[in-house]
Amino acid sequence: MPAWVKGDATDADTAIAAAAALLAAARAPVIAGLSAEVAAIRAAYDLAGRIGASVDTAGAAGTYAELGALSRAGALTTTPAETVGRADAVLVVGETPWRDPLLKRLAGTKPVRGRAAAADRTLLALGGAASGAALACPADQGLPQALALLRAHVRGHLAGASAVADLAARLAAGRYVALLYDPAELGAPGVEMLQGLAIDLNDATRAFALALSGPGQDRAVVPVSAWTTGQAPRVGFGRRVPEHDPWRFDAARQAESGEADAALWLASVPVAAPGWLARVPSVALLGEPAADAAQVVIQVGRPGRDLGGVLWHEARAALTYRPASGPADLPSAASVLARLGERLAASRSVPAC
Amino acid sequence: MSTLTLRQAPPERLDFLTINPLALSRLSKAEAERLPVGTSRRGVSLGECFSVALDGSDTLTIEGGLERLDRVGAALSEGEIRVAGDVGQRLGEGMAGGTITVTGHAGPYAGAGATGGVITIEGDAGDHAGGAVYAARAGLDGATLIVRGAAGAHCGDRMRRGTLVVGRAGVYAGARMIAGTLAALEVGDDAGYGMRRGTLLVGRHGRLSPTFVETGAHDLVYLRLLARHLRVLSAEHAALLERPLRRYSGDLATIAKGEIWVAA
Repeated sequence: MPAWVKGDATDADTAIAAAAALLAAARAPVIAGLSAEVAAIRAAYDLAGRIGASVDTAGAAGTYAELGALSRAGALTTTPAETVGRADAVLVVGETPWRDPLLKRLAGTKPVRGRAAAADRTLLALGGAASGAALACPADQGLPQALALLRAHVRGHLAGASAVADLAARLAAGRYVALLYDPAELGAPGVEMLQGLAIDLNDATRAFALALSGPGQDRAVVPVSAWTTGQAPRVGFGRRVPEHDPWRFDAARQAESGEADAALWLASVPVAAPGWLARVPSVALLGEPAADAAQVVIQVGRPGRDLGGVLWHEARAALTYRPASGPADLPSAASVLARLGERLAASRSVPAC
Repeated sequence: MSTLTLRQAPPERLDFLTINPLALSRLSKAEAERLPVGTSRRGVSLGECFSVALDGSDTLTIEGGLERLDRVGAALSEGEIRVAGDVGQRLGEGMAGGTITVTGHAGPYAGAGATGGVITIEGDAGDHAGGAVYAARAGLDGATLIVRGAAGAHCGDRMRRGTLVVGRAGVYAGARMIAGTLAALEVGDDAGYGMRRGTLLVGRHGRLSPTFVETGAHDLVYLRLLARHLRVLSAEHAALLERPLRRYSGDLATIAKGEIWVAA
């Protein structure tokens, strides 16, 4: 098991002992990242509960933009497969969704099921670089503002000859409309406006939203957190019960304010480490190791490559088991977290939960 | 007047949900000092950070507040809390009655979901002052919130009832408002974004969304009633209503029953 302490290669026991000592000394440890297979995410919540840590994810900005709007306004959603099979009008909001592989599939196929079967598919753009779009509407003032203007036209509150009026007419004429967006790019107000647009379009036709949030594993964390704690991901166990508070348990905020005094970064599925990680004593469990990523670095198996694991499958929009493509002799992140937990339980400085 | 005086800065965020005049009036000094207020796995008690002096009255003074003091006056139903210094997030969250005064600055979500009483922040407030916390139905919900200094972004977000008076507010002031009144000497861009009903009264504003349409100048009896109401809270804000006013209606992206009054 490759491991490093302060940049020097060492053995597994030494690294786990160093990691346990670092976490045991902390008053308010943070377990962050959670870009990992389901077993490791479960182990991370288990460890957080045992040591009274708080939890945050790598893609929390997008996740909370999405969950905030969902909790307040609800959501009309669809899946990539349904969009490919049924949508005759696809509105791509912003820049990021154009980079998603789904766009290529949508551009090269026609709907084959449902009320729009065999119709031509039209790609429409709101903001963003829209090379393949039949109609591109600019969003100079920002995406949330452009969405509000579009929704006002769809509702019939505004009218006139303009690109946005044309876009509203194209959407209203669609038989199955899909609204593609990246929640992190749009932000909570924008996502809520987009869901409102979907609701308004459904007065006359079918319209659904599809969030494309990229390769992170936040979509796996949300259900694991829900079935483990009953809450969304940002949960703290300092008072022995899972408290949900998206502001207080924002790991970056806690690091900057000096509240967090130790961090464990979990990224068996590689994701860029945040800048704040260097500011607190930290342990990193990495699928793609970098010796200087933290004070203690332990290489763990990367799910889907070194070992099998359940991951969020973006195209299927479901949790899916991925077998190892080239099995390697590396420990799973879950097993390392369990060993850390045992080590911490053996030391008396940490109260048992 | 009961008094809590800060002895040393706490090593973690504190939760003051249970620290209010009514709760303290039933406790002895020793019992109050043992109240857990910490939030980390180590935890701290009230007596470790504050020296406690109780007299059973309905007034509590916190001498030496600081940014880590969360939920001061949350769920307050009666009595008065006065903080000399700053407070953290969720000042007066869900309070139903009584008064809270903070001489320094407040963190985010001041007055979230508060249904009654008066909260006064003499300094600045963070983001979401009078706004809704995660998954909450509404922000300010009937209470009166006064911010003498500046408030951050999303001031009055999803506010449903009550009066919010603020010096300067950041972007998205009064966004997604359900109802209620927000008066500000100045607001940033996108005031009233997605608002359904409710009234914004502003002196200066940033970029206004194209989903608000001007509906002309009006002289309404309601405005004189509003001026009388505001004068008690802030003469400066009441004076906005003495200037010529333009009315914008919106947000047209929603049911568009909201309005923004802009003083010339």
